[in-house]
Amino acid sequence: MASLVGAFAASHGPLIVREWDAVPQNEKSRMSTAFRELGRRLSAAQPDVLIVVSPDHWSNFFLDNYPAVCIGVGGENEGPPEPWMKAFPHRTIAGHPGLAMHLAREAMRQGFEPALSHRLKLDHGICIPLWRMELERLPKIVPLLLNSIEPPMPSLRRCFEWGGLLRKSIESYAEPLRVAILATGGLSHSIGEPTMGTILEDFDRETIRLFNRPHDELVHFLEAKLPASGNGSEEVRNWLVAHGAAGGRGFELVDYLPVPKVIVGCGFASWRV
Amino acid sequence: MRDYWLSKLFFDLQSPALAAEFRAERDKVLARYPLDERVKQALAENDAPFLAARTNAYLLRYYFFTLGMKDEEFIRRLNHG
Repeated sequence: MASLVGAFAASHGPLIVREWDAVPQNEKSRMSTAFRELGRRLSAAQPDVLIVVSPDHWSNFFLDNYPAVCIGVGGENEGPPEPWMKAFPHRTIAGHPGLAMHLAREAMRQGFEPALSHRLKLDHGICIPLWRMELERLPKIVPLLLNSIEPPMPSLRRCFEWGGLLRKSIESYAEPLRVAILATGGLSHSIGEPTMGTILEDFDRETIRLFNRPHDELVHFLEAKLPASGNGSEEVRNWLVAHGAAGGRGFELVDYLPVPKVIVGCGFASWRV
Repeated sequence: MRDYWLSKLFFDLQSPALAAEFRAERDKVLARYPLDERVKQALAENDAPFLAARTNAYLLRYYFFTLGMKDEEFIRRLNHG
């Protein structure tokens, strides 16, 4: 049977690439160290497949049809479409249709009902962390695109439940695959709003603290605070999926630092699975 | 509230080819979208608050980035028109 061998999270703000040269050296160094540490831990877990939980930043979906959750079930997906991601070293990225379809079937069976796509563009949300983690070998990637961009979004509780569903589904997959989960995005930031540029360090630190408390406390806090904490902060939903997969047992914070040049409270975490 | 065609314009402008055409021949590109006169005026005036009320914030940011506007100026416009 397959097993869950790791769950991780990392921020993915575009300015981590576009404004990298302008980031102060000490912040650059801490971010690089944190990304590499996640890469080291991920590699040590030797995953055959990595499920990456990220929003679609209008790369695949539009108002015509914007799914709450979409699983990429194709054998191959495309690299990032953003012109400023041209240097990302993979133009196509292998998927794992077997596991992805199993996840989709199990989800349907449990009443979760995701959308499916046989070919996705994997935008910066997925590819910046993969790039910055400096992985020697890219595992097969199963994208799970979770809407944290266009309201209304899946509830925080449902995101946590998605994590539990993923774990059960992984563990019921017949092939002996090693599977890891990477949640990307967050922590606090604001995009295209009057508050753009604001990082809420207190909110971030409390969120981080509560990831090590019973998940009801975390969800309750986020339900109250998230609506006024910047639209980019909604991406913490992806972290909740990883948290749910890890059984809500809490994570080790690899690092957290607010980085004004990339306008994101940058967080890096590794769960106890 | 979402203005579908305004949002569609911003979404489509993520294509570098269309963005280049838009910068060179803005009116020609705008003519392909059935936009309200008031929306066209807001685009001409870079009226960020007006546009913000009618589209997704990420799409709005992409649009002003495509125009070449610096984030500082974009944020100033979002706050002060």
